[in-house]
Amino acid sequence: MRDSKFAIEIKNLSKYYGNLAALKDVSFQVKRGDFFAFLGPNGAGKTTTINVLTGLSNYQSGDVRIFGYSTTKDYIQARRLVGLCAQEFNFDPFLTIRNLLVFQAGYFGILPPKAKRRADELLERFGLYEKRNAKHRTLSGGMKKRLLLCRALIHEPEIIILDEPTAGCDLELKFQIWNYLKELNQEGKTIFLTTHYMEEAEKLCKTIGIINSGNIVRIGEKSQILQDKSLQDVFIEVTGLE
Amino acid sequence: MITNPIGTASLAKREIFRFLSVATQTVFPAILSASLFMFIFGVAIGNRIDFTSAQVSYFSFIVPGLMTMHLISTSYENTSFSLFLGRWHNHIQELLLSPLSYFEMVLGLLAGGVMRGVVVCTGIYLVSLMFGNFPALHPLYLLYFMVMVSVIFSCIGMLAALWAEDFNMLNMWNIYLIIPLVLLGGVFHPVHLLPQIVQDISLFNPMFYLVQGIRYSVTGVSDISIVISALVTLVMAAVFFNVAVFLFKIGYKLRT
Ligand SMILES: Nc1ncnc2c1ncn2[C@@H]1O[C@H](COP(=O)(O)OP(=O)(O)OP(=O)(O)O)[C@@H](O)[C@H]1O
Ligand SMILES: [Mg+2]
Repeated sequence: MRDSKFAIEIKNLSKYYGNLAALKDVSFQVKRGDFFAFLGPNGAGKTTTINVLTGLSNYQSGDVRIFGYSTTKDYIQARRLVGLCAQEFNFDPFLTIRNLLVFQAGYFGILPPKAKRRADELLERFGLYEKRNAKHRTLSGGMKKRLLLCRALIHEPEIIILDEPTAGCDLELKFQIWNYLKELNQEGKTIFLTTHYMEEAEKLCKTIGIINSGNIVRIGEKSQILQDKSLQDVFIEVTGLE
Repeated sequence: MITNPIGTASLAKREIFRFLSVATQTVFPAILSASLFMFIFGVAIGNRIDFTSAQVSYFSFIVPGLMTMHLISTSYENTSFSLFLGRWHNHIQELLLSPLSYFEMVLGLLAGGVMRGVVVCTGIYLVSLMFGNFPALHPLYLLYFMVMVSVIFSCIGMLAALWAEDFNMLNMWNIYLIIPLVLLGGVFHPVHLLPQIVQDISLFNPMFYLVQGIRYSVTGVSDISIVISALVTLVMAAVFFNVAVFLFKIGYKLRT
C-alpha cells in the first residue's frame, strides 16, 4: 500500500448515463483511517460514486484514486485494498454461501486453507455458520445483508465501502454491524458508509459528506458540519427538502 | 501475463466446478446425442454408403465431425451461459471487484469452456472406440486442435454473453451462424465430393479448417493440409481471445 495520506481522492469527477449527469465535477477526499458518512437523497449519486470508486462504472472525466492508486490505471492494486458491501444482492446462485466466500477470497490470492478459515470465522461472527452449506436463496433478507458484509471483508480490505448496509436490518443486527464497523475503524481501517438513517451517521462517523443531484453540497468534520444543529436539520437545509 | 495465479486458478476452479456439478446437464447430453448419431448414421446406414473414395469407412469419417461439432457447441454454451448468468444476476461484480487483470478474467472463464469441451469431445471419441472405431492416428495433433478449437468458441461464447440482452439471444449465434457453418464445413460429408463451386466457397468457411484438423488428427484423412488447418485455428484463437480481453478492458456491457 502506498504511503498516501488519503484513502480516497476524487478530483473533478463527472459521470453521465447517456444524457443524464449523475455526478457533476465532484471533488473530495477521505483521510486514511476516517469513518466517513456519505449522505444524500434517493438518486443523488451515492451508489454511482461508489461504483466509480470500485471500478464498477466507467466515467467521462476526472481522476479517482484509492490510497494513491488510480482506479483505472492501477486497477489491480486499487481493488486489492477495497471491500464493497453493495446496496443490492449479487451472489453466484450456484455456490453455497461458504464456497462463495472461499472463491471470493481466492480471487484475492488467498489460498484455500486460509480462505476457509477466514470464511468460517466471518460466518461464525455474523451468525451464518449454521447456514454455511445453504445456497443464498434460502437466506432471509437480513442474512443476505450479513453475507454481503462477510464477502466485503473476506480479504481484509483497508477500506470498506458500505452502501446502505443496515437497510432492512433488525435492531440487533444493526447494533452488531455498528459495533463491527467501529471495531474495524479502531484497527485503522477506513470506513465509507452510505445510509439514509441520520442517527446512524451521527453516531458512528467522524466526517460527513452530503451529495445532492450529483453535486457535493456539504463536506467536513462532524462537529464542524453540525455545530449545534441536528444532522437531520443540516441535511434538510442543504438538500432543499421541505 | 499472470500476476495473480491463485486468483486465476480460483476462477478457473469455479467455472469447472459449476459444469461438473451438473454433469447430467452439461456433459452427458452431448455424448448421448453423438452416440445416437454414430449408431444411426455410422453403424446402421453407414455400412450401406459407398464411401471408398474417402479412404475410411463412413463411420470413421463422421466421428471426428461429431467430435468437432460438440466440442464447439459445448465450449460456446459453457462460457456464454456462465458469463451471461453473471450479468443477469449481477454476480459478475464479484469478478469485476477482484484484483484480477482482464486477461486473467478471460483466462479463468476460458478454463471452464475448454475443460468442458475437451471432456465432451474425449467422451465422444471414447464411445466411438466402443463402436469399433480405430484409435486416433495423431493424438498430439488431436489435443492441439481440441484445445484450440474450444479456446475459439469459449471466447466467442463470451462475446455472445456480452452482446445478448436476454436468454433467447444467447443462443442465436450458435443456431444461425455457428452450427450451419460447422455442418457445411464437412461434419457429415467430404467436401471434395461437392461441386467445384461449393468446394471453393468452403475455403472461406473458417469452420471447415477446424473440422478438417480434427479429422486429420483422428483418421489421417483431410480435404486440406494439416499445417493450414493448424495455422487458421491458431490465428482464430488469438483473434477471439484478444477481442474478449479488449471487451473486458473497456467494460463493454460489464460496467455502467
Ligand atoms: N445504470 C444506470 N443507468 C442509467 N441511469 C442510472 C443508472 N444507475 C443510476 N442511474 C441514475 O443516476 C442517478 C444517481 O443514481 P444513484 O444510484 O447513484 O443514486 P443513490 O444516491 O445511490 O440513490 P439511492 O439512495 O436511491 O440508492 C439517478 O438519477 C439514477 O436514475
Ligand atoms: Mg444507492
